[in-house]
Amino acid sequence: MYILSSHEIKQLAQELQASHEVYGPQVDPQTQQVFFDQLTDVAALNLEAPIPSMPVKEILFPQMERILKYRYDSEAQSVTMSKQYFEKPKVLFGLRPCDLSGILVLDRFFLGQEFVDDVYLAHRRQCLLISNTCLNPFPQCFCVCTHSGPDADEGFDLDLTKLQDGYLVKVGSEKGQALADAHQWQLASPAQLSEQKAVVDHCIDLFPEMATDNKAWISRVMNRITTGFVKQETWEYIGDQCLECGACSFVCPTCSCFNIEDTQTACGECERLRMRDSCSFEGYARMAGDHNPRQPVEDRRNKRFFCKLSYPQSKKYLRPGCVGCGRCQWVCPGDIGLPNVVQYIRREITGGQN
Amino acid sequence: MKAMNYKACVCNLCGTGCGQFLKTDGQKVFGVAPLIAHPVSKGKLCIRGWHSNELLSTNERITTPLIREQGQLRPASYEEAIALVAERLTQLNGEAGEIGILASARSSNEDNFTLARLAHEVFNTRIQGIGAEAGHRKSMASLEHAFGYPGAHGSLTSIDKADYILVVGTDITRQNPIIGGNIHAAQRRGARVVTLSSSRTQIAKLSTKHYQQKPGTKGLLVNALAKALLAIRTVNHDRRANIDLLPGYAEYVASLRSISSVALERASGIRYEEIEEEAKHLEQAKSIVILFSSGISGLDRPTIDAITNLALLTDRMDNENSAVIPVAGISNLQGSFDMGVSGELGNSVFKALATPDSPIKALFAIDHDDGIIRDKARIAELDFVVYSCAYKNAFMELADVVFPLPAYNETDGTYTAADKRVQITHKNVDNPHGVLAGWALFQKIAKTMGHDWQYNDTASVFNDLAKHTPGYHDLSHAQLSKGFGQHWNPKAFAGYRQRKFNAINIEYWESPTTAEFPFALMIGKAQHYWHQNNLMRKTIVPRREYDQTLWLYPHGYIEISPDDATRLKVKDKWLVNVHSSIGTHMKIAVKISPDVQNGTAYIPYFIKNMISDFLLPYENAYAAGEESVVPIKIQEA
Repeated sequence: MYILSSHEIKQLAQELQASHEVYGPQVDPQTQQVFFDQLTDVAALNLEAPIPSMPVKEILFPQMERILKYRYDSEAQSVTMSKQYFEKPKVLFGLRPCDLSGILVLDRFFLGQEFVDDVYLAHRRQCLLISNTCLNPFPQCFCVCTHSGPDADEGFDLDLTKLQDGYLVKVGSEKGQALADAHQWQLASPAQLSEQKAVVDHCIDLFPEMATDNKAWISRVMNRITTGFVKQETWEYIGDQCLECGACSFVCPTCSCFNIEDTQTACGECERLRMRDSCSFEGYARMAGDHNPRQPVEDRRNKRFFCKLSYPQSKKYLRPGCVGCGRCQWVCPGDIGLPNVVQYIRREITGGQN
Repeated sequence: MKAMNYKACVCNLCGTGCGQFLKTDGQKVFGVAPLIAHPVSKGKLCIRGWHSNELLSTNERITTPLIREQGQLRPASYEEAIALVAERLTQLNGEAGEIGILASARSSNEDNFTLARLAHEVFNTRIQGIGAEAGHRKSMASLEHAFGYPGAHGSLTSIDKADYILVVGTDITRQNPIIGGNIHAAQRRGARVVTLSSSRTQIAKLSTKHYQQKPGTKGLLVNALAKALLAIRTVNHDRRANIDLLPGYAEYVASLRSISSVALERASGIRYEEIEEEAKHLEQAKSIVILFSSGISGLDRPTIDAITNLALLTDRMDNENSAVIPVAGISNLQGSFDMGVSGELGNSVFKALATPDSPIKALFAIDHDDGIIRDKARIAELDFVVYSCAYKNAFMELADVVFPLPAYNETDGTYTAADKRVQITHKNVDNPHGVLAGWALFQKIAKTMGHDWQYNDTASVFNDLAKHTPGYHDLSHAQLSKGFGQHWNPKAFAGYRQRKFNAINIEYWESPTTAEFPFALMIGKAQHYWHQNNLMRKTIVPRREYDQTLWLYPHGYIEISPDDATRLKVKDKWLVNVHSSIGTHMKIAVKISPDVQNGTAYIPYFIKNMISDFLLPYENAYAAGEESVVPIKIQEA
């Protein structure tokens, strides 16, 4: 482990910019909203900004992208095609541990054993992941319950923790080690290592009781959801509050569903678009022959929570499908973000008591 | 430092006026993010807002001016197209009613203000109207009488703090979902939310109390609530306010007193005792928000008058968290009215088109969203039709000249939301075809016809409109760019604070149903259907949602209750024959819904032949909006 000054961190970002597109948290000056977006000037990199409003998956799995263009020449009866996604070296600088966990889940979905998604792979390759320990939780955070924060323990190339003086840097991969070796960073002292531990402990202490308290409850709710013992009334209570906007899926760091559509451009060319989709939509689950196994809204809603919290899904992702970022709670116009749903199911278990 | 790729703007897909970010590189729009700091939407968006990027990426754009030649539209230069418009319209007499203007409730204030100038100063016509104005005119008239200015009283943000929220009609979680979400949140924090609706809408389910009245009796119930409130006031002397000094009070109270509890229950199905209980809650509330839908599917005037009267009677309207808001379905319906492009009585373009011997010969239409074009045959027969829009649609087929317009994020513009909040959207993407903004196009046409306006940019148009539009005086682009908009100032109206009760008539609505036509058919909600879907059909995911309803019910559907389905011996998706009492007929599938009352039926407002063949003959169905009822019989097909 190494110790770097704040200045050296900025220098690192600047230096990486020569060979990489550098993405990091930055604050929109007008609205104070935080986005994890490409940096033209590393001066805008703000490692102490609140959690970005949109998940980092935007970079690897954008809301909408053109993936293919093709043109049919009817005379020659031939088709010309060109792919529209390209590999570019990137640095994701200052990832929240929850967003890092989200990337790991997406990796296991898109780059799994049976099938590798070429588009995702192109965005994901040559991607340097630099995570950043959270110093304090934000109002909706509950990563302590989902084993994804406030510090990262896997998946990063480099991991930063802000200490009193400078940043403690952990190395998590050969790529990260190569960077450390090339710069001959100063090794951290044992005192700095224990300071890092204290920073993390302090952050955990700052979580609201509901979140720390929920830790055991989340696993209990996972068990409940897996075994299918959640009462229909509870799902209906949740479903009644769903306004079917799809927001929860769009801001979820681990939601990976997408839709594909070919459209014709004005000049006779066709382009293939891929855009995010959501299980909250009625048309999402519709099958050929008009069969829809999940037509009522509550059946669509519980699908989402099965995906986030049931054991079979966790086995697939090697961790829970929820990373505790709490963004779904922020964007839901119906007040059924995941923490609330856990609360409702827990209320059912206890028979009304919290 | 280069600005980020996320640009703040105002969603343009309904009258709520939510804040949104568009992710863009200045050429294309890639995505959407909600704007957390926005006072109304607070970081939330609905399915429409979340998919704005799909609409803004569609290839179905009009890219160049077009002129019809031998029946076909062909590309033309601006100069050529404008010269043709000038030449043809100069030959017509605007003053004699030969030129009509059909404005859009989606255009910016700047575009509508310059369109009004074009109509009044250049074409010399007052024959005008807005695509979706029918119901909003009534809301404006009622509110102006009650509060002294034609606009909402109070702010949508009041929902977050009010003690008592009354939702009259409107399937608000579908039509304006973010307002619906805010009401739900208010209910969760302890506000009393009361819904009056003849079907069990989602907001009805989420309310503290739902009064499922019989169709056509919302106004009666609101008046009954006023009567019960008045009774409490009479007993409770120390809470008696001086609202009894307001003009119209005596007549109003006399009308209220005439409400008979027996007749009320017979007409509405709701017992007066329940209303008396409700009035106790209303009396205790310190701040009260009342919401009702406005625009094409809005309420009738007597119902709106009942609402504004009740609002005055509560004597809580001076509380900073009280509000009466006509909720608009289209982004700038309020602003279009403010800019003076609505059809005043006697000058309505719709009336001119519908009257066979009216002198109208030409129509200048903007961004007509309605897939169903009223008086289409008449428009097709006009001598000259000009149409301007960002997107391709059916109106182009009727036009002799077509002009392209930029999308809402391709030009600066201000929009006035349902609660009078004026907000600015800055251009964040270049129009790929370099088309002129609406105001610039109108200015060019005006100049060709001899009028020089000398606007340099959208901000200068706004400065001019601020000077000439009551309530807008202290607004400017520079100031609107700082925060999240500002409500226009009602103090600019002479009648401000001169509150008056509207005159009401107590009528016990008699259902037009008969033994032969026993069902009361209403035109109602549909899950994924907004503004007749011209815009949503150009998206991908929302369009799929709409389509899948059509796949399930390819001929459209009629919603009836499970009991009625049993009685009729029909099952879900079975076809039935629906006959109306005036002899129109359609074949349509049954959709069984527990949210519908026995004896009532709903059809969504989006299946084309339903509207044009079945409903259009019912003049009243249009006039009464949400309260319209058509007696029908349903038979096995």
